Amino acid sequence: MNLTQAIKMASKSIFSNKGRSALTMLGIIIGLAAVIILVSYAKGQNMAMNAYYDSMGTNIINVQAYSWGNSGSRDVGKEVYNYCLQLDGVAGISPNGYIYSSPTIKYESKTLSRNRGGMSGMSVASAGMDGPGAGTNEYPEIRLGNEMFGVCFGYSIAKGREFSYLEIENLSQVCVLGSATAEYLFGFVDPIDKVISINGLPFRVVGVYQSKGGVDLGKSEETQWMEESIKRMDRLVVLPSTMTRYFNDNQSIEDYVVKAKSSSDIKEITTALNSFLPTIIDPNSGGFYAGSDESWKQESNEANALQQRFLGGVAAISLLVGGIGIMNIMLVTVTERTREIGIRKAIGAERKSIIIQFLIEAAMICGIGGIFGIIVGYLGTLIVGKLSFGTILLPGAEITLGAFVISVVLGIIFGMYPAIKASGLQPVVALRAD
Amino acid sequence: MLIDIRNLFKIYNEGKESEVRALDGVNLSIDRGEFVAIIGASGSGKSTLMNILGCLDIPTYGDYWLDGTDITDRTDRELANLRNREIGFIFQGYNLIPALTAYENVELPLIYQGISGSRREERIMEALEKVGMADRWKHKPAEMSGGQQQRVAIARAIATHPPIIMADEPTGALDSKTGKHVLEILHDLNEDGSTIILITHDNGIAATAKRIVRISDGRIVADGTKEEVGL
Repeated sequence: MNLTQAIKMASKSIFSNKGRSALTMLGIIIGLAAVIILVSYAKGQNMAMNAYYDSMGTNIINVQAYSWGNSGSRDVGKEVYNYCLQLDGVAGISPNGYIYSSPTIKYESKTLSRNRGGMSGMSVASAGMDGPGAGTNEYPEIRLGNEMFGVCFGYSIAKGREFSYLEIENLSQVCVLGSATAEYLFGFVDPIDKVISINGLPFRVVGVYQSKGGVDLGKSEETQWMEESIKRMDRLVVLPSTMTRYFNDNQSIEDYVVKAKSSSDIKEITTALNSFLPTIIDPNSGGFYAGSDESWKQESNEANALQQRFLGGVAAISLLVGGIGIMNIMLVTVTERTREIGIRKAIGAERKSIIIQFLIEAAMICGIGGIFGIIVGYLGTLIVGKLSFGTILLPGAEITLGAFVISVVLGIIFGMYPAIKASGLQPVVALRAD
Repeated sequence: MLIDIRNLFKIYNEGKESEVRALDGVNLSIDRGEFVAIIGASGSGKSTLMNILGCLDIPTYGDYWLDGTDITDRTDRELANLRNREIGFIFQGYNLIPALTAYENVELPLIYQGISGSRREERIMEALEKVGMADRWKHKPAEMSGGQQQRVAIARAIATHPPIIMADEPTGALDSKTGKHVLEILHDLNEDGSTIILITHDNGIAATAKRIVRISDGRIVADGTKEEVGL
């Protein structure tokens, strides 16, 4: 009996027992789809996490440098600024300061305020058309930076411009707004060159940043907090770092952010800073730190890899169970078909022919089931990707191929065992089976 | 001599208390072109004898020459080829494969013999015509009556043109009219030159054979024409 005949015979057997074949395939389909969906889900989560980290700004080195006592003798900030800018891999450096006092921000009838005292009971007229309390939710983060703030924190200018170097140096009362804050205060009015008041001080708007919300993380619960957190980044007012003088009791800014040109530059810059900072800071009257966020990202990626392996393991078990399911059905099938094997042997089938027939049958069932499993896995991944991450998520080719090969091999092994057993019977014994 | 068995034993659970001697020293020779009926009560050993004659089972002791070759030390593969080329089986329960059509059932032994597609079709239709089932070639066993199924089974048995046809109670599951028809087909085949070995417990059917072998408790107790055997 040649191979074409064997294939014909196997397909005849598969298609004339559709119910049984479908049941057998079900194990493979479920197992394979589970592997593909679970592993892809973990991958998608990792992608969302990385997109989130990216939106916070990538390739960032956090620098802290402070000295107490004779702070007047050196301008640590200036020295760090100058040192960093002459390093090769540095794309930008900005002070990383905050104004914590929550000053009230006003533009015409719009007010942004943290002051809850009057909000709860009586309505505050100044809250404008958004009603009481809206200003509280929209209250921006007020940050202190320089002309490279956008570069360092991953904002790009939508309208206007960044600060200029001289505006920082000259204590100009200017500001750059995040997109949400600009929209809240100005609506459809062009904010550029309008003057807002912060704690009664006038600040001219020189620029507005683009929204960071463009990153598609999906609309599920899992990514909602990321989404929220990215939205919060658009609620922003940036003032020149020198404004610390007016708001923070002239406390000097101790934190800086250095943006590296690429992730490969991070290590070099960090090393350089760690050898530079001791030369400007006396350890007896100050301290310093320079390190990167990348280690966070890496940790998170490692945790995710662990999760992927775990989910992969769970999925592999389901695949194994699917394989055992196939063996069960094949065992039942062979018992049911022992008589058929007896008939085939009686009319002259060699043992080899019967084993080949069952082998091809098992391979075809697993192959067809495997293809369906891949289709279901892809559809499932697309659905899970849409629901969980709001994006088009596709399983990796190596996962798909690997799972397919494993499921087919499992199916063949489990499918063959009973056939090998049955084909070894004396025909008369096989014929007697009922 | 086509079939020659000498001192054949088939013993189950040998040496144990439950030992059963299904065949207990059988000697039998059958010549080409004979029509032999093997009769006996159920449990007499006649089915065991046929299974061994048909190479479906192996004897515990004894010699068996089929067409001049000793088959007691053949491999599984050689036995499969012997069954395929030398013997056509007809069973009481028809033993057709339910998932396959009449055509496909008859095709099976030809596939195992390695006969090419076009020649196969010719042989299948020839066999089906001989048993009057050519118009039902597309039907599956479940769509046919018992008599029709048995005729398809006969077509399968003769498709490879084997010299020997073994029929184990071929009429056992059929009504007397269709049983008679099946018997007529066997006689026709015998007239065309096939050696027929028919196993039955029905004396009426056995009486149509030229030679009758009566078996009892695993031994041959009578062998001859129906008069000699006492039917």
